[in-house]
This record gives sequence, C-alpha cells and structure tokens, in this order.
Amino acid sequence: MTPWRITATALASATLATLTAGTALAQQGAAAIGKHPPISILINSSPWYAGFEKVVGLYEQQTGNKIKLDVTPFGGMLEKARNAVRGSESPYDILNLDTQWTIEFYEGGFLTPLTDIDPGFKLPQEVFTYDQSGYWNQEKRWRTAEGGKLMAYSPNGNVHLFLYRGDLFKEAGLKAPETWDDVLAACGKLHSPPRAYGAVFRGEKGNSIRYDWMPFMLGSGAAITRNPAAGDYTVTINSPEGKKAVDLMIDVAKKCGPPNIAALGQSDAIQLLATGRAVQGMLVAAAWPNFEDPTKSAVVGKLEAVPVPRPASGQHGDAIGNWHFVVPKSVPDDRKKAVIAFSNWFLTQAAQKAYLEGGGIPVRSDVLTADLASNPKYRWVKAYLDSQKFAKQELGYGEGPQVEQVLGLRLNQVLIGEMSSAAALNAAAKEIEEIFKKSGRKTGTLPPLPES
Amino acid sequence: MTPFGKGERWIGYGLLTLAVLLVVGPFVWITLQSFKHQIAIYTGAWIFTPTLDNYREVLFSRRSDFVSNVWNSVIVAAVSTSLVLVVGTLAAYSLHRLAWARWVALGFLAWTIFFHAIPVITLIGPWYIAFRQLGFYDTQFALIVTHLTINLPMTVWLMMAFFREIPPELEEAALVDGCRPVQAFWRISLPLAVPGLIAAGILAFIFSWNEFAVALSLTSRETATVPVAIARFAQQYEVQHSQMAAASVISTIPAVLLMFLGQRFVVRGLTLGSVK
Amino acid sequence: MQPKVALGAAEIAAPALSRPGPAARSGAYWLNRSFRWWSFLPAALLMAVLTLYPMVNLVWMSVSTIEFAQGRDIWSFTPGRNLDLLLSDRVLRHAFLNTLVFVVVSVAAEMVLGLGLALLVGRLTRGKGLVRTVMILPILVPPVAIGSMWKLMFNYDFGVFNQALMGLGIEPVNWLGSTSVALISVILVDIWHWTPFVFLILFAAVEALPVDVLEAGRVDGATGRQALRHIILPLLRPALMVAITFRSILAFKAFDEVYLLTSGGPGTSTELISLHLYKVFFEQNQLGYGAMLSLAVIAAIVAFLLVSRQALARSTAA
Repeated sequence: MTPWRITATALASATLATLTAGTALAQQGAAAIGKHPPISILINSSPWYAGFEKVVGLYEQQTGNKIKLDVTPFGGMLEKARNAVRGSESPYDILNLDTQWTIEFYEGGFLTPLTDIDPGFKLPQEVFTYDQSGYWNQEKRWRTAEGGKLMAYSPNGNVHLFLYRGDLFKEAGLKAPETWDDVLAACGKLHSPPRAYGAVFRGEKGNSIRYDWMPFMLGSGAAITRNPAAGDYTVTINSPEGKKAVDLMIDVAKKCGPPNIAALGQSDAIQLLATGRAVQGMLVAAAWPNFEDPTKSAVVGKLEAVPVPRPASGQHGDAIGNWHFVVPKSVPDDRKKAVIAFSNWFLTQAAQKAYLEGGGIPVRSDVLTADLASNPKYRWVKAYLDSQKFAKQELGYGEGPQVEQVLGLRLNQVLIGEMSSAAALNAAAKEIEEIFKKSGRKTGTLPPLPES
Repeated sequence: MTPFGKGERWIGYGLLTLAVLLVVGPFVWITLQSFKHQIAIYTGAWIFTPTLDNYREVLFSRRSDFVSNVWNSVIVAAVSTSLVLVVGTLAAYSLHRLAWARWVALGFLAWTIFFHAIPVITLIGPWYIAFRQLGFYDTQFALIVTHLTINLPMTVWLMMAFFREIPPELEEAALVDGCRPVQAFWRISLPLAVPGLIAAGILAFIFSWNEFAVALSLTSRETATVPVAIARFAQQYEVQHSQMAAASVISTIPAVLLMFLGQRFVVRGLTLGSVK
Repeated sequence: MQPKVALGAAEIAAPALSRPGPAARSGAYWLNRSFRWWSFLPAALLMAVLTLYPMVNLVWMSVSTIEFAQGRDIWSFTPGRNLDLLLSDRVLRHAFLNTLVFVVVSVAAEMVLGLGLALLVGRLTRGKGLVRTVMILPILVPPVAIGSMWKLMFNYDFGVFNQALMGLGIEPVNWLGSTSVALISVILVDIWHWTPFVFLILFAAVEALPVDVLEAGRVDGATGRQALRHIILPLLRPALMVAITFRSILAFKAFDEVYLLTSGGPGTSTELISLHLYKVFFEQNQLGYGAMLSLAVIAAIVAFLLVSRQALARSTAA
C-alpha cells in the first residue's frame, strides 16, 4: 500500500465509525418518534426558510424519516394549496397557509383537525397561538379555541416591529419612540428630504397599506366590524376613532414620509431603511435579517427595534401575519400520522432552538426569553415578545380579501389626496356593508361621518 | 428589401443604433445588477466591487435547483416548440390550401382566438384536475402538451399569414407537372415560408420558456421550470434582486443558443432540395 | 381579405389518380390521398381535448355561484347574480378605461416601432441575424424579473431614471407614485418588453417579401414613400394583422409587470381588468363572478379585435 492509500483507508474507516455512531444516535431519537413514511410540505421561499430547512434536515438525521420540501414562490402558494385540496388525493401532506387564507380552508372543510388524527396531540403551553388562529369553531364560523378544533399551528409568526436608527437618535438626544408623537418629534429633527426621510411604512394600494394601517386603527380604538366573533358584522370603520386613525397615518406620511409613499411596497421600505435613507420605519419582524447582513445593508448594527408606537392618547395595537401548517383531508392516514410525529418533534424546545440558530423565528416563548435579549444579535426579540401581548388577528372571515380590497384602495386614495379621510371611510363602510349583505351576514353601518 | 441608398444610409444606421441601445440598455442594466450585492443595487451605485456571489448562490448553493430547472425548461420548450411547429404549420397549410369548408376554417380560427383570449388563471384549475386524474401531474409531458396548446393559436395564424403571401400559381404549376400534394407542400410552400417558421418558432419557444402560471400549478420542485424558479426570488417580504438578476441572465444563455441552433436546423432542413 | 385560390380535393388527388398502378396503393399514395385530413386533425384534436373542457367549465361557472363545504364544491345556478355583480362593480369602470388606454397606446406604439425597425433591419446587407438576436432579449427576460427590475429603475430615490434627471439638474419624477405618471410608466415598460414581438413577426414578413415585386416597383419609378404605401404595406398586411391581433390579446391580459410595478395604484390610476380579475377570481375566490368577468374580458377583446382589424385594413389598403 502506498501512503496515500493508507490515508484514504484510514479516512474511510473513520467516516464509517462516525456514521455508525450517527445511526445509533438517530435510533435513539427514532425510538420515541417511530418510523414513518415520507411526507411532503408545500412551503414558500422566505427569510425564515433557511432555518426551517436546517431543522428538517436535523429531523431526517435524527429519525431517518424523510421530508420533501416543495419550495414555491410566494405568489404561487395559494394556487397550489387550493389545487391540492380540491383534487382527489393531495400531493402535499402539510400545506403552509397565510393567515388570511386559513378561513377559506377551514370553512370549506378541506382539512383534518390535528386532534382528529391523534386525540393526544396538544400544543405545548409555550407555543404561541397567535390569537388562536389555529382553532376553528365551525358553528360560530370563527377562529377561536372556545369550542373550536385545532386545525393548525404556526411555523412562523409576524408582527410589526418599529425600527429606528439608534445611532442617530443618540446623537440627536432622542429616546426610543413610545408614541406616534415621539415619532413625529424625531421627524421634526431628522426629516430632511431627499437626503433623509423621518419614517417609512408601506403606502402601496392593497394589502400593503391595509396591513400597515392596522396598528393605527387598533391603537386608536377603532374596529372594522362591531363583534364578528358573536356574528355581529355591523360596520364600524367610519367612527370618529377610525377617522383619527386615518388622520394620524396621513400626518405621519406627510411629516415623515418620502414623496412616493403611496407607491411604497415592502421591498421599497426595506430599501430606504437598508440604505440609511430612512431614520425610522414600520416593518414586519421577518424583514429584520435584511438589516444585519452587510451584503444587504449599510446600517448593520445601527437599527433598534420597539413595538409599534401608540397614539398619544391610545394603546398599543398590532395585527398578526402568521403562517399555518395544516393537513388536507385527502391525505392517507399513515402520512397524517407522520405529520403529527414531525409536528410533535418540531415544537419541542430543542428543535425550536435549532430553528432560531438556523435563522428562523421560533414560535416558542421559552426559546425567546430573557437570556437572548441581552445578546445584541437578538435585540429585536424583546419588541417581538412585547407585541405578542396586544397583537390581534384581523379580517378573520371569508369576506376578508374583499374587505381588504376596499380598505386598500380607499386608504390609498386618502394618502394621494384624492379623498378626505371622512369621505373615504364613509365610502368604505358602505362598500363593506354591501359585501356582508351579499353573503347574508347580520350587518349595518354607523351614521356617516361629516365630510367637510 | 432593397439596401439603403447613399444618403439614407447614415440616417438608417443612426436610427438603428438608437433602437438597439434602447432595447439593450435595460438588459445591460439588469446584467450589471447581477454582479452587485443587494446593498449596491439598493443604492443604485455605479461604482462597486463586482462579485460573482449571486451566480454562485443561484447555481451551486444547496438550496438551489437552478441547473435542473434550466434543464426542465430546455426539454419542455424545445419539445413543445418542435411539436407546435409541426402541428401548427400543417394545420395552417391545410386550412389555407386544402379546401376545407369555410365554416371549418373560420370556426377553428375563431375558436383559437377565443381560447387565446381566456385569462390563464381560469384555465389552470381544470387542467390541474384533469392531469392529476390522468396521472400526468408533475410530469414534463403535461407541461409540453399544455404549452403546445397555448402556442398553437399564434403558430397557426402566423403560418397562415405566410402561406398567404406565397403566390398560388407556384404550386399549381408544380401540381400540373405531376408533383404530389405532400411534395408541393414540402418542396414549394414550406421553403418559401421559412422566415415565418423561424419567427413562429422563436415566439413559441420564448412563450414556453417564460410561461409561469401553468408551469407553477402542474409541477413541483423536481419538474419546475426557470420562471417558477426565478419567481422564488420575489418573496412575501423582500425581493432578492441580486440573485434574480443573475438567474435571469443565466436563463437567457441556453435559450439564445437553442434558438440559434433550431433556426439553423430549420433553414438547413428546408432549403436543401427546395425548388425555388 | 386577399383573394385566394383554394384547390379542391379532387384536383389535389388528380395527379396521383392519373397514374394508377401498384405504386398507387403504397404508403405514399395514402399519405397524399389523406393529406387534407392528417394535416389538420392533430391541431383539431389537441384543441378539442385540451380547450373544450376548460371553456365549457368557464361558461358554466359564469352562471353559477360556487361555494365550498365539507371539502366539496357546491354549484348553484344564479346567472342573474353574477350579471348584477358585473353591472354594479365600481372598480370595473376604472379598470376598463385604463385597460383601453393601456392597450391602445402600447399596441399602437409597438406596431409603429416594430414596423419601422423591421423595415430598417430588412435593408441591412449584413448583421441581420445579430440584430434579431439582440431584439429578442427583452422578451426573453421572465416577466416577474422585468417587473421587479423596472421597479428599481423607476425608484424615486435611487432609480436610474431619476439619477439621470438629477444629473441634468432636473427635478426627479415620481414615476410610480403619482397618479398622472404611473400609467405612462407602466406603458413604457410594456413598449420596451413587447416591441420585439411585433418586430420579429414583421421582420419575418419583410424577409419573405417577393423580390421581383419590389424590383418592379422601383423600375416603375415609385419613390420610397410610394413603394411603402402602395406596395410594401399591402403585402405585409397578413403579418400586420397577426401581429396586432396577438399583441392586443396579450396586452388585454397584461398582468405580471403591472402587478409588480404598481399593484394597480396609486388610487385606481393603473388598475387594469386583468388585475381586477385576479383579485376577484383568485384572491377573493369568487369563482362564479370571476368567470363572468373573464367572459366579459373575452368579449371586450373580440370587439376590440374586430375594430382594430377594420382600422388596420383601411390604413394599409393599396
């Protein structure tokens, strides 16, 4: 044997030894979880996908069970999820659904409640329920744990974070913004277009402006409908509080925003913050990693995060945008069992820790608690946890996308000056009432706001 | 066409240069972005350190299937384009020359227009269900057949327009001389319609290469094509322009090559042995 | 329509029949005998098998309300309801007008530019292939990339256009954020993207022009403009018809770029029928009304095609 060969043989046997050790370890894990057929997950490419992929790799390694990840463009997720449940046997065993899509799937009876597969399946207490959006009460047609069945759990949950430039704030002697008045005060000092914009949020027509208006609305004590959980769909958006919420958003846009704020989408808002052009900004937590990567950001280490500010005379409010893992009805039983096995494992503390280290946002509070907050890398975590206390699900009914279209247009029209806030809210209220009427809900509207 | 006269030449070249610059400019700009990190794209920088990271990420990262995506696109686009040229050209010639009743020809052409006008999102649901029932979901066959159908209307119409430009006397004379109908088609009409065939082929190829909606719903990770892969860079919360640009640039290379080869194949195959 | 001489089936078969004998029963004989059938059947079959079901499904949906319960779709026959929705749809009016402007302006511009380019390139003695390859580049870029990348170019603060304007000392333009400019910006992208499509078709037609006719025109002493007007344009008419037909259909269905550039905003300034349809049919899952809207789009396209073909026929008459 030549020396080279000897080395090669040594290497090979060493590898073999490691492999055997690995198998032994895997068997230990597998003993608890058991052998299951391969499953496939419909999932979107996203900032948290890399973390999820790593966790799945870990699961495969530990248990020997296989998971296929079908990474799909965000724009194609709903299409593929619908196809999957409307056809005969679903090609996917787990679908990943955005919060707004869940209603359609719950209500349409396309899914198997997780507790129907395994009556013993329970979410650990530490797992966020994100305002109970994984439960469905078919009688009330509402997402609630009260009388509802567990249909889903979240692999990812988003709330807004309010980001600001720690360095510039320090220089100017400002403290972290707690109210929108603080935001406006900071703009007064730091807003000098076109070199620097005081604050950015998404003003683009549609989902963008609707979702970014939610913190203003909830903070001002306004609501779209009176009590949908109890079946009362009276439209209350054109209340004085609603008007206050719109006026506040417009005020912030005018005094802090760039001239094209009415066309600003997610990517544009990230761009303005990442280039250092914007001093503050309201963005979803999932966007955070963008600002800490030097190939993507010129402000690495400079942004700080707090929960979305509240109106000076209001409370904090925010809307949740979370994802849901669900199981189609048409999946065969043995694969449904495999889903439960994976889910039990995925929600353990150890797996969630691996998820965080891989770049995901864990969905367990105990993984996110105190010791992380002191690590500067995770300085957004405190704001994220604080927001969980007041963040809510909005538009939790089948008509949600239609209501969003109405609000997304009317709010945008106020922003570009085509309508006054009162006129826009009156119009929106009437249109939303019409939508509810057509679908046979108990509805009505408030007297119109004075428009002058 | 006649070449430029003396005086016209410079005006002509000037206009042409301008046109080419306007067409190429944005493409060059996109190519430039593919060598930047995202932050340099964000700031619109003109001076930057070029990087190959985006190409590396798109081609070789563990998460990327781009090479197989390109291969899928090559198969689907090449096969569906070849088929649509055969089927569409024959149908165009048939409807134009072979004495079909007026209602057949008009009916078929009108139907193709209606079909082409249908918004694609209303097509994919029924197609998904049909192909899944037949067991062709997630196969290249399904994509080839649907792309063939989608491109058929334009190919038929385009080829008819070109057959119409050929004076009928040419074929009539040949037929009188004892030439058979298939020969008349193959030896006389088809070679004269080669420019049309090339245009139809290029367009069918490009539409197949870039088709997104049907490809998305009939494929999964292993069978996905280039546009589906590139759409992954447009995420819910961010657009990865840098990698998207690199992927777009990469995807044009095999496409241009294939179109070039296909064109030569058509020209060689048809102009040899033609009686011009 | 040009006059055309169609050959009867009998005439086609005649040469073959005139030489009966053993060869007549060979494969070649049957190939020629049944040429008319086998040349058309594949296309007809394909259309029948793949398009009939979706088309019937669409029409049926358009007169139904479709709801989902217990994992099944429940169809009820409600033609009046969907028509009502169509007539009372507020967004639709804006969308229809914008679409009309978008289609007319971009298709007209693309036809003129595409024709001009085709004529110019046709006169080159060298490098035609190269120019054609270059012209293909815009249609080769996936639409999702075109939308995303042009959005960067239009960016107010960092975009290449505003960089250029500010370099020249001109106020930056709010390309996508101003209601008066947004539609123009969207049309500009469409023209960049799709002029090559028109060019490809017309360039092929220019290449196929019979040389002798052009020569004859020159010998007769026709000036360049006269030759273009009275000889070339009438000869190009079939190709022009195809180009305008298919370009218009695609323009009516334009989606990806506009969706990515503006989402139909600001306000309703770039709301197109295709975007609206996407929201209704797809995002809101109103299948019945969405199907009705699709049929309305198809009807609008057909009406537009009839009008535009008339206009084109008149302007290219010899």
